[in-house]
Amino acid sequence: MQGSTEFDAATGQYKITGSGTDIWGRADQFRYLWREVSGDFTFTATTKFLTDGIAHRKAVLMLRKSLDPDSAYLDLALHGDGTPVVQFRNAKGDTTNTVDLVTAGPGVWKLRVVRKGGTVTFWAAKDGAPLLELGHTLTNLGNPFLLGLGVSSHSQTAVNTVLFSDVSLEMPPAARK
Amino acid sequence: MTTTTILAALLATSAFAQTANLGPFSNSGDVGAPTRSGSTQFDAATGEFRITGSGANMWAKQDQFQFAWREITGNFTITATMRFLGQGAEHRKAGIMLRQSLDTDATYMDVLMHGNGMPALQWRSRKGEDTNAFDLPLLEPGTYKLKLVRTGVKMHMYLAKAGAEAVRVANTEVAFTGPILVGLAVCSHDAKASDTVVFSDVTVESAPAPAPRVP
Repeated sequence: MQGSTEFDAATGQYKITGSGTDIWGRADQFRYLWREVSGDFTFTATTKFLTDGIAHRKAVLMLRKSLDPDSAYLDLALHGDGTPVVQFRNAKGDTTNTVDLVTAGPGVWKLRVVRKGGTVTFWAAKDGAPLLELGHTLTNLGNPFLLGLGVSSHSQTAVNTVLFSDVSLEMPPAARK
Repeated sequence: MTTTTILAALLATSAFAQTANLGPFSNSGDVGAPTRSGSTQFDAATGEFRITGSGANMWAKQDQFQFAWREITGNFTITATMRFLGQGAEHRKAGIMLRQSLDTDATYMDVLMHGNGMPALQWRSRKGEDTNAFDLPLLEPGTYKLKLVRTGVKMHMYLAKAGAEAVRVANTEVAFTGPILVGLAVCSHDAKASDTVVFSDVTVESAPAPAPRVP
């Protein structure tokens, strides 16, 4: 099923609808909104699932090497049931690695991904609470990469709509090579 | 003890010299041939392990460390309380390790503490590949309780400062096959140094076998 992306310039909100089996294994299916980026950044967005669906439907803040379904990637995903997970495919065609973190339940989640050199740090907060660090990992994605917001329904026969608000991308003035 | 367990113990003993009572484990030794030899001492009266390990690191495509282990099949829970003795490299490592074999580049997964108080899950998905790592937010240096629960491909990490109940913090997936090695690992993260870690209250419990399928 086809996805869609709507942007409301007045509120700065994105309404992204995505379908797809999953972002997992050796191939991904999802709706993606992205831009090309090199170097360090702080990427923040607040996510709200607008549709019911499979517990493991996903809203993600993602770094991706290319638009190929089996591209190397790294994301902070929020499942529909409120579980934050860090997932990555180290090399094109490889399988996905996962670190499932502890859920505080479904809600409005603020998510943040910070890249500094080869280290990527993940933050999350539910329902207006202060952002807490989840942990960090290392990445060999290199530059440039595609940074953006993704939505997957975890089902070929369903769509999942997520509202992303307060989306911000901060980069240091002297971006790394 | 079941016949299978005794047989497994005998096989393990024949393959690797068993020199002492190691409590819940059957063997100990260095993996990856570190320059400085390590050692494992077990005090049966107190149930305490004193494990000294050296090694450049457990990382990338090659691991060097001291390991006390037993063979295990299926699902299980392992717990240990641990503390570093003395000083050392900030990223010296100690914790619970699951390993497909004693090869330096074997598939493995561990839940560990760094010397500076940073907990981590690390794993090599396939033999010869690079290590993957996820580091959790820093705790104060001290005494920690670690627990790892294996359910199929899912490896659940539990953690607490000593005295508290270990709570689940994360899980990952690693596809081990057949019997694996479960044990305690210590690495100094410096080929020219050794670190000693005390482990206590170490338990390894196999999960009951699943009920037979009704045809």
